[in-house]
Amino acid sequence: MTLKNKSIIAALLSLIIPGAGQLYKKAYKRAGALFLLTASAFVTVLWYQHKEWWFAAILIWLWVVLDAYQFPKNSITVLPILLWLVMAYGIGWQVTEMDPTAIFRNQERASIILKPMLRPDFTRPRTESLTSYVDIQVPCSPTPPLAERTNGNGIKMSVSPNCANLNEYVTLNVTGFWPEYPATMEWHSPIGAKSIHEEFQINPDGNGTLLFQVKPIVNIAAPDQTLPQMHRIVVIQSKPLGGIDISETGGHILRGIYETLSVALLATLIGAILAIPFSFLAARNLMSSNPIMRIIYVLTRTVLNIVRSVESLIMAIIFVVIVGLGTFPGMLAITLHTIAALGKLYSEVIEGIDSGPIEAIRATGANWLQVVRYGVIPQIIPSFMALTIYRWDINVRSSTIIGFVGGGGIGFYLYQWILLQDYRSVSASFISIAIVVMLLDFFSARLREQIR
Amino acid sequence: MLRVEHLTKVYPNGTVALKDVSFEVPDGEFLVVIGLSGSGKSTLLRCINRLIDPTEGKIFLDDQEITSANSTELRHIRRKIGMIFQQFNLVKRSTVLTNTLNGRLGYANPFLSLLGIWPQADKDMAMAALNRVGIADKAKNRADALSGGQQQRVGISRALMQEPRIILADEPVASLDPVLAHSILQYLEQMNKTDRVTVICSLHFLDLVHRYGTHVIGLKDGMKVFEGAPSEIDRARFKAIYGEEAQEVRATALE
Repeated sequence: MTLKNKSIIAALLSLIIPGAGQLYKKAYKRAGALFLLTASAFVTVLWYQHKEWWFAAILIWLWVVLDAYQFPKNSITVLPILLWLVMAYGIGWQVTEMDPTAIFRNQERASIILKPMLRPDFTRPRTESLTSYVDIQVPCSPTPPLAERTNGNGIKMSVSPNCANLNEYVTLNVTGFWPEYPATMEWHSPIGAKSIHEEFQINPDGNGTLLFQVKPIVNIAAPDQTLPQMHRIVVIQSKPLGGIDISETGGHILRGIYETLSVALLATLIGAILAIPFSFLAARNLMSSNPIMRIIYVLTRTVLNIVRSVESLIMAIIFVVIVGLGTFPGMLAITLHTIAALGKLYSEVIEGIDSGPIEAIRATGANWLQVVRYGVIPQIIPSFMALTIYRWDINVRSSTIIGFVGGGGIGFYLYQWILLQDYRSVSASFISIAIVVMLLDFFSARLREQIR
Repeated sequence: MLRVEHLTKVYPNGTVALKDVSFEVPDGEFLVVIGLSGSGKSTLLRCINRLIDPTEGKIFLDDQEITSANSTELRHIRRKIGMIFQQFNLVKRSTVLTNTLNGRLGYANPFLSLLGIWPQADKDMAMAALNRVGIADKAKNRADALSGGQQQRVGISRALMQEPRIILADEPVASLDPVLAHSILQYLEQMNKTDRVTVICSLHFLDLVHRYGTHVIGLKDGMKVFEGAPSEIDRARFKAIYGEEAQEVRATALE
């Protein structure tokens, strides 16, 4: 058959199935590559419904036909690849809904989140407070109990009348508070819901009076509005002490960071210890003496690779389902990921071990344990430690985020604050996380330098 | 007296490294083994302290058979045989002192040595050994901080710690320049002459063979092709052992 006839057949074959012509001309790799190129273009256009790109797919196919005709004379390979890339990036642009101006368009929304961020909620002015309460019946029964109470500090509170129906006015009388400081009255329903909230002044004698209306809201959650129940009137008075205190959020952050660091520390230690046996099984130089060992080697490697490729955040979701919310599932997830990651890294250290010193120490008449102690351990320990510290560094980062799926630590609080749109707290936790990670980065780098 | 009888080593991949090699080494001899790379020199030396188990043949140290020794006996034999390597084979991250003390492991209390505790006598001995090779001031340095010549001297002090009867030196100067080569071989010569240590050393350069050897064995393709006095080795013999093509490469060594 003449070359020309052969080329026509090849071109026709490639017109039916892209790459078939190249296959016919025995250019197997080229056939496979061109088939994949054309097929992926058509999958994108047809399956993912990006019809505006059909011309690119068709042009690529036509080029493949032309190539089948001309082969082994080279056609310009860069053409279809360029077309394919233009299509891929074009679709990428559409799929990611690229809209850079959106960053600058929504200034109002940006200020909602960014302004509080400039005032991270870490501290508050130090204050001390006085508080007391009195219980009152709502609505009135025929014989209401006396609405009067004196607490251990001599603060006396009374309400007249002794009970109230909705929308009625009552008078609160208090004595024994700090003179000339404002006080706050809070109404707590039987289920603890705070409803009415009013401020009033305490006079120079430490007494105060507040007339207020019992609004219907106090009974809104009651199953039976006519049933008399005991509500609580709480009065809080606070005065600045000077200086600053850690705010409630600050306390949560400190606790969260503490949990996060503990999770990372424990996960790294347990992970590192458990990684050691796996690393020996995954070291090629130790596991190549017979076929069974080689199978164990391949299996261990494969399992480590699979476990390592699953993000610890995803493992945490699974463990949260199994053991429940809290720091424990987060720790389990990070531990598992650490075992896989360190197992592989350790095994590479073992593979890089120098057999010379081991031979030399055997030659001195040392026993097996002495060979391990003086020939093997000095070679692997520094690298093991450096890798473990590096891993601890990574683990602190991942344990900050693991709380997002219920794994505990600072991430758990952060996630709540994001949902509550409490951006001052969010900002405070961002800053704390950044500080912790930066400090850790610094010290782990220093430590690793020392070990080398 | 070391006696090697009909030694043969076939590696699992089928390579025949040694074929029926026999010789005797009287106490106090400086035996030089010459031969091309791959001629079986390293295998021969490693069979003597059984870092490699020979396939056939026997090796006797005095009247004790090394080749049939059990593991305890073997360790007792090994501690009497010091070994020096081309690549020095020091534990790079350990200190010079620790590397030297490693030579004492065969004598040390197995338990205490695992904890890294060494008797003062061993430490003094190690410092004396380092002093003898002139690097006592480097005792606290890491081994990889030393130059090649210094590392080989640590290798010698490690062998000294064994109070050896025999020293096996596997191309001890092949990684060093000619000046350093002489200084290292002079230490071996000194041990050979003053301490009456038998030295079995593989070398490549004819001038070194003439200068240090008291007896020479030539290996080619795993077979002993020459045995005699260093003075019997001339250009022609050397060429026979190293092959025709070696002539050019070895020209300088021959002058």
